[in-house]
Amino acid sequence: MAAVLVRGRAGRRMTEVLSAQEDRRISLVDLLDRVLAGGVVISGEVVLSIADVDLVVISLRTLVSSVGSLMSVEGITGGDHDGPRVR
Amino acid sequence: MTGPECGDLVAPRQRINSDPATVERGLVSLVLTLVELLRQLMERQAIRRVDDGLLTEEQIERVGTTLMLLEEKMVELREHFDLRPEDLNIDLGPLGPLLPTDPA
Amino acid sequence: MSVDVVWVYAVIHVGRAESRVSGLRGVAGEPVQVVASDDLAAVVGVVSLDEYGQDALRRNLEDLDWVSQKARAHDAVISAIARSGAVIPVRMATVYLDDGRVRDLLENRRREFAATLSRLSGRAEVGVKVYADPASLTMPDEGCVDHGTRSGTSYLMRRRRELASREEAYRAAAVEADRIHTTLMRHAVDGKRKPPPDRSLSGRNDVAVLNGTYLVDSDAVEFFRETVAALAMSTGRMSMETTGPWPPYSFAGEPVAE
Repeated sequence: MAAVLVRGRAGRRMTEVLSAQEDRRISLVDLLDRVLAGGVVISGEVVLSIADVDLVVISLRTLVSSVGSLMSVEGITGGDHDGPRVR
Repeated sequence: MTGPECGDLVAPRQRINSDPATVERGLVSLVLTLVELLRQLMERQAIRRVDDGLLTEEQIERVGTTLMLLEEKMVELREHFDLRPEDLNIDLGPLGPLLPTDPA
Repeated sequence: MSVDVVWVYAVIHVGRAESRVSGLRGVAGEPVQVVASDDLAAVVGVVSLDEYGQDALRRNLEDLDWVSQKARAHDAVISAIARSGAVIPVRMATVYLDDGRVRDLLENRRREFAATLSRLSGRAEVGVKVYADPASLTMPDEGCVDHGTRSGTSYLMRRRRELASREEAYRAAAVEADRIHTTLMRHAVDGKRKPPPDRSLSGRNDVAVLNGTYLVDSDAVEFFRETVAALAMSTGRMSMETTGPWPPYSFAGEPVAE
C-alpha cells in the first residue's frame, strides 16, 4: 500500500496523544507511521488570498513526490505503488 | 512514489490572508521574504566560492561589501514596515519553513 | 445483499487462537475471528465491501478521521492479542476477498510466519527519538581574525565562520545520534533507524537527529526506558523521548499483502 498523503494543517492532530492505557505512550503520527505500509507523507497547499479571494495556490504535492522518489528511503516509499489492493 | 492513486488526507487549506487594510504589509512581507531567500542563497554561494578558492581578494571584498550592504538594507526595510525577522518566512507545510529559523 | 471482505489484523499460532480473540471487536465493530491453516491462524474481521473494498479504501484513506479511527481500532485488536502470546502484526487495510485466500496466504508463507512468530515471541517494540536544539549547539562567533579595514571581507568571513559552525553542530549531533543508536542496539534484540518525523507533523522546532525503533523483550521494556533516560542525562544538550511499547510492527518482516 502506498504512502498516505496528509494535506495542510494535520499537524496538531498528528501530535495528539492517544489514550494511554497501561503506561503506553503513543501519538497518532507514530501509530500511523507503523500501521500504514507506506508511512505518512505530507503534501501541502498554500493559498495566497486577498479579501477572501484565492489568488494563488501553491501545491507542494508534486514537489514532495519528486523529492520522495529521489530519496526512496525505507518507511517513506516502497510497498505497493498502485494504491490499496484487495486480494 | 506518490501519485493520484495515493490517499490524501484532506485538511483545511492554509491561507495567507490579508484584509484590505493590511494588503500592503502582507505583500511587503512576501516580497521581503523572497528577497531574503535570494540574499541567503547568494551569501551561501559566495561562501562556497571562497571555500573553493575561486575568488580573488578584490572579488571577496566586493562581494562581501555588497552582501553586507544588502543585509543592512534588509534590516532597514524590515524595521520600516514593522516586521520582525520571524515574519519574513513562509511555512511550506511538509517542507518546513522556507528560511532556516535557527540562528547563523 | 451486501458483499463482505476480510480485514486481516495479525498472524498467530493456532493454539488457543479462538480464546485469544474472544470478545474482541474490530475496525467495523465486527467480532474478531480466526482463519486457521495447520499450525497458524490469521486474526481477521468480516467487513463490508462498501466501506473496505478496493475503491472504498482508496477514498477512505484520504480521510484523516477515518484513517485515525481505523488505525486505533486495528492497533487495539493487535495490542490485545499481543498480551496473550506471540503475534505478527499486519499493516492496516490488508484486505482479502474471502477466507480461502487468507488460508492460501498462510499456506504459502507458513515457514516464514513460523520463524517470525518465534523471533517476535515475548517481545515488544519501543520507539526512541532524539532531538537536538541547533541553537544550543552553535558556538558564539569569536570574531578572531582581523581583516584590516576591508569590511566587506570581514563580513563575508564572519558569515562563513557562522555557517560552518552551524554545519559542524549538526554533524556533531549526527555523530552523537549514531553513538546513541549503537548503545541502544546493545540493549535490544534488534533495531532500526527510520527517517526523521516530518517537521510539520512532529510539531517541534528542534531537529530530530535519531528516529529509532527497537525490538526488546517485553519484560525488559522498563529497563530499556531507564537506559534511554540515563543516556539523555549524559548527552545533556539533546532531548530524548520514547514511545510505545508497541506490538512489533516494524520487525514483522515483509508486508503481509505483498
